[in-house]
Amino acid sequence: MKNILIILITLFFTTQSNAQIVKAEIIATGLTCSMCSNAINKQLKSLPEVASVETDLNTNTFTVTMRPNTNISPKVFKDNVEKAGFFVGSLVLYVDLDALENYINIEKKELTAINKLQIQILDKGFVTDKEFKKLTKKYKNSETYLSNNEEDFHFKVIN
Amino acid sequence: MRKYFYILMAILSFVSIQAQLKIGDSIPNLQLMNTKNEEILISSFKGKLVLIDFWASWCAPCRKANKKMVQLHATSYNRIEIIGISLDKDRSKWIAAIEKDKIKYTQLIDPNGFDAKTALIFGVEELPTTYLFNNEGKLIAINPSEEQLLNLKN
Repeated sequence: MKNILIILITLFFTTQSNAQIVKAEIIATGLTCSMCSNAINKQLKSLPEVASVETDLNTNTFTVTMRPNTNISPKVFKDNVEKAGFFVGSLVLYVDLDALENYINIEKKELTAINKLQIQILDKGFVTDKEFKKLTKKYKNSETYLSNNEEDFHFKVIN
Repeated sequence: MRKYFYILMAILSFVSIQAQLKIGDSIPNLQLMNTKNEEILISSFKGKLVLIDFWASWCAPCRKANKKMVQLHATSYNRIEIIGISLDKDRSKWIAAIEKDKIKYTQLIDPNGFDAKTALIFGVEELPTTYLFNNEGKLIAINPSEEQLLNLKN
């Protein structure tokens, strides 16, 4: 009985640590052309959790692939893009369903995906200022969204 | 102890990769492909002022700067050798941009974005970036202003 309990606990913690962001797609904004600078690329590549960074010149998107079994907060992407002198205009994450336990599903759409979910982070600093103004109106009934707590992440499901 | 040694080595190798051209350095001996698929040695242009311009077809500020480069080339081709080095990964987009911008000066390509060997050796961190070498092949300015280039002509 005790053994089973130990196995269960171990399983619980293993799945917990496996819960993760697999990939992130970042669109950066700023006064200058974000793709014309190597700064964001370099900044993201310097993170130990990051396996590779690719750029799509047609969509101006940085695709960041994470190393397996690493945990990272969306805030790390924001901080590093800002360190490079730009802002996050959009952040889309490819995540495991159970990685979302600590995130707020603002549109309360049912999460049915068995595998990977594609979500967009909607908090201040993760969308353009203009978009954020729109969203504060749209989500005016969400106390957590309006409180702008840096530790809370609100998402909407894209796919 | 050994661990620290490795960490130190890693830092040192990183620093050396990051090394960029400094004022007074010589034009690196690099061979790059031109539009006709011929290998061109960039250090072979010594004897003239050489302006190396890093750009890419997808870089809007570069395309804007190309217009000024084309003008500069038209007025001072006998004094300044302009060499464009594109970091485009897609060769056909590079060729199309050269035609569209009506570029007549030498165009070379190192098709690997910011990871291109030439970009690493020069220390290119953003596009466009230009490097001006004197007629002895020594670097005299990084991103010279239009004014600086005009004064060179006199």
